[in-house]
Amino acid sequence: MPRRLFSVGLLTLSFALTLSSAQAQSGTLKLPLINDPIMNPVIAPDLGSVLINKVIFPGLVRPNEDLLPEPDLAKSWTITGGGLVYTFTLRNDVKWHDGKPFTAADVVFTFKAATDPKSGSRLVSDFSSIKDVVAVNPTTVRFTLSRPFAPFLTLLGHNAGILPKHLLDGKPLNDATAFNRSTPIGTGPFKVTRVVPGASITLEANKDYYGTKPKLAGMVFKVVPDINTQVAQLRSGELDWVNVEPNSIASLQNDPNITLKQANAVQHFLVFFNQKNPLFAPAKVRESMQYAVNRKAIIDGVLKGYADYPTGTLPTALKKYYDKTIKPVQYDPARAKQLLAEAGWKPDAKGQLVNARGEPFKFTLIVDRGNPSREQAALAVQQDLKKVGMDVTLQPLEFATLVRDYLIPGKYDANLIWWTTPPDPDQYSYYATGQDNNNAFFSSPRADDLLKRGRETADVAQRQKIYNEFQRLEMTNPPVLVLYYPKELQAIRKNLSGVPDLGIRDALRHSEDFQLK
Amino acid sequence: MTLSYLLRRVFHALIVLVMVGIITFFVVRLAPGGPSLLADPKLSSVERQAIEQRLGLNEPLPVQFTKWAGQTARGNLGNSFLYGAPTVQIIMTRLPNTLILAGTSLLLTLAVALPLGLASGMRPGSVFDRITSTVSLVFIAVPVFWFGLLLIILFAVTWRILPAGGMNTAGQEGSFPDLLRHLILPAVVLSAASIAEILRYTRSSTRTVSTQDYVRTARAKGVGQWALRSRHILRNAAIPILTAVGLQLPRLIGGAAITETIFGWPGMGRLSVEAALGRDYPLIMGITLFVALAVVTFNLLIDLMYPWLDPRVRAEA
Amino acid sequence: MQQTVPQPVALSPARRSARRLRRNPSAVWSLAVLLLIVAFALLGPLVYRASPETIDFAQQFAGPSWGHPLGADENGRDVLIRLMLGGRVSLAVGFFAVAVSLVFGVLIGGLSGFFRGWADSVLMRFTDGMLAIPGFFISLLALTFFGAGLTQLVLVIGLTSWMGLARLVRGEVLREREELSVEAARALGASELRVLWRHVLPQVYPTMIVNATIGISFAILTESALSFLGVGIQPPDASWGNMLTGAQNYMYSSPWLAVYPGALILITVVAFNLLGDGLRDASDPQGR
Repeated sequence: MPRRLFSVGLLTLSFALTLSSAQAQSGTLKLPLINDPIMNPVIAPDLGSVLINKVIFPGLVRPNEDLLPEPDLAKSWTITGGGLVYTFTLRNDVKWHDGKPFTAADVVFTFKAATDPKSGSRLVSDFSSIKDVVAVNPTTVRFTLSRPFAPFLTLLGHNAGILPKHLLDGKPLNDATAFNRSTPIGTGPFKVTRVVPGASITLEANKDYYGTKPKLAGMVFKVVPDINTQVAQLRSGELDWVNVEPNSIASLQNDPNITLKQANAVQHFLVFFNQKNPLFAPAKVRESMQYAVNRKAIIDGVLKGYADYPTGTLPTALKKYYDKTIKPVQYDPARAKQLLAEAGWKPDAKGQLVNARGEPFKFTLIVDRGNPSREQAALAVQQDLKKVGMDVTLQPLEFATLVRDYLIPGKYDANLIWWTTPPDPDQYSYYATGQDNNNAFFSSPRADDLLKRGRETADVAQRQKIYNEFQRLEMTNPPVLVLYYPKELQAIRKNLSGVPDLGIRDALRHSEDFQLK
Repeated sequence: MTLSYLLRRVFHALIVLVMVGIITFFVVRLAPGGPSLLADPKLSSVERQAIEQRLGLNEPLPVQFTKWAGQTARGNLGNSFLYGAPTVQIIMTRLPNTLILAGTSLLLTLAVALPLGLASGMRPGSVFDRITSTVSLVFIAVPVFWFGLLLIILFAVTWRILPAGGMNTAGQEGSFPDLLRHLILPAVVLSAASIAEILRYTRSSTRTVSTQDYVRTARAKGVGQWALRSRHILRNAAIPILTAVGLQLPRLIGGAAITETIFGWPGMGRLSVEAALGRDYPLIMGITLFVALAVVTFNLLIDLMYPWLDPRVRAEA
Repeated sequence: MQQTVPQPVALSPARRSARRLRRNPSAVWSLAVLLLIVAFALLGPLVYRASPETIDFAQQFAGPSWGHPLGADENGRDVLIRLMLGGRVSLAVGFFAVAVSLVFGVLIGGLSGFFRGWADSVLMRFTDGMLAIPGFFISLLALTFFGAGLTQLVLVIGLTSWMGLARLVRGEVLREREELSVEAARALGASELRVLWRHVLPQVYPTMIVNATIGISFAILTESALSFLGVGIQPPDASWGNMLTGAQNYMYSSPWLAVYPGALILITVVAFNLLGDGLRDASDPQGR
């Protein structure tokens, strides 16, 4: 009875609002964070910070619905000098949230800071190709690269929000605590008006925004650490959008006020097999893993189908570069055993794999603890590998310990982990010999050559060919065992519209189009 | 109670604090792993070194310890790794929120536990006594996080009469009724176990006290029920109850971790979880020292209050 | 060590207590329930043989059936066997953590009271320090830093809960040293330490046992709380705490997954508390 009355009241209210404010901004979008964000895109490492910074700090370009760069703070650009010189023409109608004009000097300042590790920058490796950046005039910026670098534009639209020189010049970005934590000034469609530490960040629509006028009156990022509480708040209307893991779907499916949307995520979840360990050095052994592990069962069982079946390390989200014609490796334990036999591992009387010297195929698989999907996937991998005769121990570790004491020093056998990459196929730093993020110590001269050419080739058709070849190479000499390309699961209240079909990171680059009815 | 006794107690308290500091420092630093800032597999080695240098982690441990001890002695607890701001400042922004929650819970605890405990202690074995005892046991036994989520599902999702978390509706900071609405569920969850414990203490000390001769005498002299309860029984049962409340203190200040995490309450409990999981060394040290200071001070105060409450202690001291 | 001669003086209070305990129905019932739960956890898996780890995605969230009498969890694993094995783990955490805290409490309290002087001062300040740190926070820290597992949980919970007992033992030792019986025993030539051991411990037994009973329930609850923060018993191993935590995700769709481990924790903790109360009343000389 009371609910009926309530909804009638709500209808009248929203009707009244529509009438009175035909064009005006209305509604406050409420999104969750798990802790206080750092509101400075150059030094912010965690997802929560990245999300809020997308709204406050636009970049020179931003990804469109096909994940290709479109103009944002830059109106247009030219690429000259054999792919080494990028010249951007900036908009001249942009103001910072404090009213000061935005100029080329801000862009130069931002990238000088971003390439200087002492400032606390987390974008150093993204932009290590920049040799020089200069302001030609207040609306023109010229970047000179030290080598041709095809992902450059994509990276500009990824995390590289522009910072105000007039507020931050002169000391490391890390020391600007007031700016980073409570009074950030950007150029985006929403500006921060109030920060309650540990609780919320309130933003209001920026009336001077240079693009389409924001349709929302404001946004609130609320700190809600527990995922089950986030789901409860979404259901009770205290939050409007929560990204969930597949295991929360059951709680949301029957709620008439909530839509579940899938978005492509540029992620691949994988198992590193440490190739310094003689067990995993032979390509045949790594190839056999692809047959031994039932990845279809993991996708259906653990991820409830919200993931794509993998072929290689390039996720399906990179539509332009992902080669659909390559036949994926299907679950086939018999074939796995055959490949392992060819590599010198044969089952003994008890079905355990042993080599010629009678040593067992024995190793430890580590996984970070606390995330149900990854823990379940690790369990499934362990069981499948046991079925072909390997002796696998599963060890869940706290993430910080896993990374610092096991992964980085290379002191592990196998590790289930994931990569979130910018929307570009460049994987040089992940899978080329000796690179920073090549934690499996994969080394293949052919892969090195392809990855190097891939990042240096600007022509899209040629790049496609290169990456398709890389993908094919990965089928017989896999650097890692890719388990799945997950979908991002967005649980959104039905009255929110205007959200582009993108992952939340990139969708928030278009927050001025969001609308609450 | 002499001055020298007081000074000795204060000296002991200081030694306790130094011990807490040293123990925590070495437990934290000798442990495997490192600050979560460094736990990003994407970091390049250059970025990694820059961070270690900035946080002062590249120096040998004894050097770090000397630096830390010197700073701390001068009252400087350093900057939090996660927040970049001074540790003391961060604790001070969170402390009032915790005090609001802990204070409300304490009031709720006393308001419920004292009368119920008194009543059941006066009539041990009665139906009323049995019911309160059983119910209070159930509250001790139910895991806090489960109870919290259950209340959220019932009150916020199903019946929609209370908010599911946070301290204020965004934009209504400073509104007292709004704060009150947000307080109800976490305060109930946080006090559930304390209510049960204090109730049991009150019940048993009431039971002990009411069989004492002076209470019997007072009753025989015709002292009214209420006067009897408040003046004679409650006053004499106060010491064990007060001690029990004192023991709840570390839990209320530092141990509200779970309640604050579930309800997204921006207090010290949540902060301590963040500090521990993020391995924010300065913040961990700061919180530990701060809570230890609060507990030591409170215990000192209780010690000083004993003689006032109980003339017999006054004679002994 | 030689066989000690039965001491009628030390045994008779225990016997008296036992008799009193028998007259306390709720304590007797609690004991019975606890024995049932222990049997369920220890003997259950010998009778009911199922794999606790076999994942069967076809059986996800399956209701009760012949194959899975209590249904299956989010991985299609058998819930009944996991409750049994999880019970072993949870009860083990309880018992061993309390054992650790008893050993430490008696050792530190005993040494402190025995040596007196500066050793006493140092040990007691250490005890105060441990009391001043919020136990839960330090447990969380230690488990984040040193990894979570059965051994670590037992140590961490045990090492953060011995302080009350240590103070009690110290007080008893100090008191006992002054008593005549000790003087007499010393005259007979027994070593001081052994005398104290023999005389002090019986004095603190009742309190120790009461503390231990309630301590077990506290440890079981602490394990579940630590599980919620992700530092309890780690999967694939089951404990009631991590089963309950895991079930939080399915509170709307499969609430029964939370009901089983939740109810077991609740019943066990209530029973241990009632038993502890019964024991306290029974050992109280003025108790009726």
